[in-house]
Amino acid sequence: MPTRTQEALQEFWATKVAKVGVVFLVTLILISVFVLVFYPLNFGEELWNNPIVWADNPKAVGPSWTQAFSSQAQAEHLIFELPEPVESDFSQGFKRQLFQVSFLFEADDFPQFTSFTMRDVQFQEDPPFVTLILHRPDGEAIILLDVDIPYPEPEDSPPYVFYSEDPRRIYLSGSPAVRLAVATFARRQLNMEVLVSDIAAVGPEKFMFGVPSSQGGRATDVLKGEYTLSVLVEGVHADDAMGSARFVVAGQLFGLMGTDNLGRDLAVGLLFGFPVALFIGVVTSTLTAGVGGILGVISGYKGGKVDMVIQRTVDILNNVPLLPILIFLLFIVGSSLWNIVILLVVFGWTSLTIIVRSMVLQIRDGEFIQASVALGAGTRRIIFRHILPQVAPFILAQLIFFTPSAILAEAALSFLGLGDPSIPTWGQILDRGFSDGALYLGYWWWIIPPGILIVIAAVTFVLIALGFEPVINPRLRRRR
Amino acid sequence: MSDVSLYYETLRGPVQAVDSVNLEVPKGEAVGVVGESGCGKTSTSICIMRLLPDNIHTFTGRILFDGRELMDMTDSEIRSQIRWREVSMVFQGAMNSLNPVIRVGEQIVEPLRVLDKVQKDEARERGVARMRQTGLPAEAYRMYPHELSGGMKQRVIIAMALIMSPKLVILDEPTSALDVSVQAQIMNLLKDLKREEDLSMLFISHDIALTSDLCDRFAVMYAGRVVETGEAEQVLQDPQHPYTEKLLASVPRLRSDVTPEFIPGAPPDLVNPPPGCRFHPRCPYVMDICSKREPEMFPTGDGQYAHCWLRGDEHG
Amino acid sequence: MNMADVMLIEDIRMHYQVRTGIFKTIPLRAVDGVTLAVPPGQTLGLVGESGSGKTSLGKLTLRLMEPTAGHLYFKGKEITHVPEGRLKWFRREAQMIFQDPFASLDPFMTVDQIVEEPLIIHRIQGRESKVHRALEAVRLTPVEEFINKYPHMLSGGQRQRVAIARTLILNPSYIVADEPVSMIDASSRVSVLQILSRLQKEYNLAFIYITHDVATARYFSDRLAVMYLGKIVEMAAADELISTPLHPYTAALIAAVPDPDPTNRLTKRRVIPGEPPSPINPPPGCRFHPRCPYAAKICRDEEPPLREVEPGRYAACHFSEKLQDDLLTLAHGHVDASSGRSAQPPTGASPKP
Ligand SMILES: Nc1ncnc2c1ncn2[C@@H]1O[C@H](COP(=O)(O)OP(=O)(O)OP(=O)(O)O)[C@@H](O)[C@H]1O
Ligand SMILES: Nc1ncnc2c1ncn2[C@@H]1O[C@H](COP(=O)(O)OP(=O)(O)OP(=O)(O)O)[C@@H](O)[C@H]1O
Ligand code: SF4
Ligand SMILES: [Mg+2]
Ligand SMILES: [Mg+2]
Repeated sequence: MPTRTQEALQEFWATKVAKVGVVFLVTLILISVFVLVFYPLNFGEELWNNPIVWADNPKAVGPSWTQAFSSQAQAEHLIFELPEPVESDFSQGFKRQLFQVSFLFEADDFPQFTSFTMRDVQFQEDPPFVTLILHRPDGEAIILLDVDIPYPEPEDSPPYVFYSEDPRRIYLSGSPAVRLAVATFARRQLNMEVLVSDIAAVGPEKFMFGVPSSQGGRATDVLKGEYTLSVLVEGVHADDAMGSARFVVAGQLFGLMGTDNLGRDLAVGLLFGFPVALFIGVVTSTLTAGVGGILGVISGYKGGKVDMVIQRTVDILNNVPLLPILIFLLFIVGSSLWNIVILLVVFGWTSLTIIVRSMVLQIRDGEFIQASVALGAGTRRIIFRHILPQVAPFILAQLIFFTPSAILAEAALSFLGLGDPSIPTWGQILDRGFSDGALYLGYWWWIIPPGILIVIAAVTFVLIALGFEPVINPRLRRRR
Repeated sequence: MSDVSLYYETLRGPVQAVDSVNLEVPKGEAVGVVGESGCGKTSTSICIMRLLPDNIHTFTGRILFDGRELMDMTDSEIRSQIRWREVSMVFQGAMNSLNPVIRVGEQIVEPLRVLDKVQKDEARERGVARMRQTGLPAEAYRMYPHELSGGMKQRVIIAMALIMSPKLVILDEPTSALDVSVQAQIMNLLKDLKREEDLSMLFISHDIALTSDLCDRFAVMYAGRVVETGEAEQVLQDPQHPYTEKLLASVPRLRSDVTPEFIPGAPPDLVNPPPGCRFHPRCPYVMDICSKREPEMFPTGDGQYAHCWLRGDEHG
Repeated sequence: MNMADVMLIEDIRMHYQVRTGIFKTIPLRAVDGVTLAVPPGQTLGLVGESGSGKTSLGKLTLRLMEPTAGHLYFKGKEITHVPEGRLKWFRREAQMIFQDPFASLDPFMTVDQIVEEPLIIHRIQGRESKVHRALEAVRLTPVEEFINKYPHMLSGGQRQRVAIARTLILNPSYIVADEPVSMIDASSRVSVLQILSRLQKEYNLAFIYITHDVATARYFSDRLAVMYLGKIVEMAAADELISTPLHPYTAALIAAVPDPDPTNRLTKRRVIPGEPPSPINPPPGCRFHPRCPYAAKICRDEEPPLREVEPGRYAACHFSEKLQDDLLTLAHGHVDASSGRSAQPPTGASPKP
């Protein structure tokens, strides 16, 4: 039907909503394609739900661009990779490596935490000493920590290599040794009455990066200026060494969309939500429309017992309380993405079947069907040649109409904690936000963007469906 | 009506559904408007009622009713002073658009109740009287449309059109969905009403034989234009426009052995009507001038006019 | 009965089951004992008001429905209860033209596809040339201009001609035409009927022409059968039946149809009162008696059989012989609106250029 399809498309394109909808849809698709190309497929399990990946991110902080709206200079998130030592020598039976990084700290607020990670520590006999020293702008230095590296197991043989498969991360803010070192520093150099327990309460950064506040007591102000972290590695063999290291000064802001309370980059999670939402929407609606359409055609054309069975099934499905049943069933079958899709299809096809059935009933009694029968046409020919082409455009339009409801339904189920845990979706991000109290803590960046994205995705398909409305619904069709 | 035009706006361009139409309905007479489907009969009548759809491209001309210029009146004046009160209309297929959940009696008197704020009892009295006149039993007042047969529904519609005692009734294909015997009953009813009430009627139909059953004058329409007008005798027995002639010849007759002939070709597209005389591509007498210049309504004697170059030259 | 008849219909009945309650159904006697024969190359006109069972009868003869009782013979072979699977030969020979040329053509197919469909169904080769010939036969020329159009791009008359081309392409010998021209414009009606007549002569087709328009029936049919509430009430050669009806219903039907004539408006038409009763509860005795101006006691008690009143003329009325003169005036005379006087109309005027 070249002319009809063309006419339909022209009519569709003539509506403003359709144009907006198409622009939205193309954007959704482009983003999804981007994500599919650049993200690993097991993103959910390997990355999103793996806390180690996100350990060095600040927890539950807002997007960096909010700095523009804040009067205070918020701490940037600083990650320093130390790929190789700035100095390295072996003399008189001593091996010495120095890793060093200097950075400006100009924020009005203290870093959220600090952490240190080292990789590929290698030695022949005894483990090397690794010492972390923080040089402050006021000339003071704090020996934060002597990392103690365990002795090798007796059955291993030299050279011993540690921390190459999984690097050793030391959460400096939580390290008792650091607390002790900082408390000592504060008492001696800053002349403050600080106990280790105080440091445990407010975090060592308050003193590592602070000077006594004018308010007195244990309050501190940020000491702005250039800091330097030195990492000293001392061993006894020529090739005793540390491969590389990383030092993180966690900020109060992170990335484009901020982080959740596990430090996960919300921008990354939200992006991954695009293809998932499209997948859920398109697959669910296609299956729903397919099942609903086929059963509708069969029910309408065959009549009799088949029709009875299908109609009773429709009645039953239409009258069960949907949500409780869905929740119950998801509990039983487990909430994988496919199970959600299948359940949405199982409970979603009925409305279309009813409409298609009545359309088919009408078409079946039409004269041109009778004319075909009179010519000797069989059932197959009548269904495929005469009935399907007539109901297909309607089924297609319904397919588009089903898409937003599928997206919303998945979001709703996720929100009830029934999402597929292995695949992050907007609904799940929203759900975590709510259940972890983002609403009360004011972590708006954790709740509003997924909400908006769910609405946008749904609205996109609603707009397209509205654009098709005048094409499908002859009452709205303009006169030729 | 003089020089009335009504064009509809469509995707393909303006549809010239009514183009410079002149039409006169004398008091107490029935004028039949005949022509093929889509030639603009209904469109002409809705011009008088000012019941226009939204997609109007052009609406011009003069419509004089009882000495008053309808084109100068506002929509609300038309609604309160003309529509139903002075001019009423029986719409094409109206009997299938009765409200199925309201008693037919109440539907009949609705104009009375809405426009004149007549009390329920009085309205009922007048409604029943009109129903009697149209051959409906008084019991039907309390019935619902589905309880009535097609013929009775059409009588209900006619009673509704008469309820405000209008001077002019427009009847758009009032019998086309009915069986022949019921159709004849309705035509008899219309004849009675015309005589008793001294009504003027505009009777619209594609069936010239049926129209001859009621109408004193004829207006033959073709492609948005009136091509011939005249007394019934003149138009039926001595048609002056080739289209009228061909239309008459195409009617299969029951009582004579004339073999009907068809008019070759199809009515034109009203978005791009042919230039000159719009009938010229199908006309057996077509001359050079027909496709070049549009003919006028040339008088052919005794109030008969034909829109054809055969009946006049460029100077009239 | 003559075995040479293309279609022989014997006491056929079609009783629809109409639901009145949840469990109750009652029969609706749409066709109630009709016996007819359609000879080859001839047209049998079937006239009657809406609901009289014309379409049901036409569809029955094409086995589009299973009759409740009776027999159908096509070219001498019984087809009454043969399953659809063994009817293919019949489907090639017998065709139907439907009333509404818009509804009877699949709106999603082109003219080419529509006309070709029967050939595909019956696996016939050489489709392209056959489609061309069929379209030429119905005067849809130049063919190239039409084959790629969709039904909505055609006028009513053109659509109906496409439908006719589709029925002709299998070279049938029997066609049921159910009101083939009632939905199309007056000016193209005649052309469609002329095409049908010409094709009938060319291919020796047998037609059942169903209509409620007595005027076209007279013009197109050899014989006419008048149906009332599921029964044939009169049957005769078309001209005779129209000029001298032998059944009051036929006369009333004719009386109701005007010819274009300026004197019509001066008189009132003699009409039968009321509308046809429901075929669910047909009146006892003569089914027409509640509306018949001549009804007597016998009419209420005894059903008049369809009998040969005159040679070749059948009517189902107790008084056919006695009423002949009255019926003639009823059918063709007018009663003056004021005086009730009967008047003969002048013959239709022939127009001049
Ligand atoms: N609202 C509208 N918009 C566009 N075109 C219209 C509209 N109403 C009518 N037309 C077109 O105007 C022309 C005249 O229509 P109209 O209904 O007046 O014809 P008619 O003579 O009453 O025909 P019929 O006998 O089929 O009722 C037709 O071609 C029709 O398609
Ligand atoms: N499928 C059906 N089920 C029940 N009743 C039916 C069915 N088809 C037709 N009827 C009824 O049978 C009767 C005869 O119908 P049929 O269509 O044969 O009449 P018709 O003479 O062709 O009328 P028309 O001129 O309106 O086409 C009508 O009363 C109709 O309501
Ligand atoms: S049998 Fe009686 S009722 Fe029937 S048509 Fe003849 S006269 Fe009328
Ligand atoms: Mg109209
Ligand atoms: Mg019928």
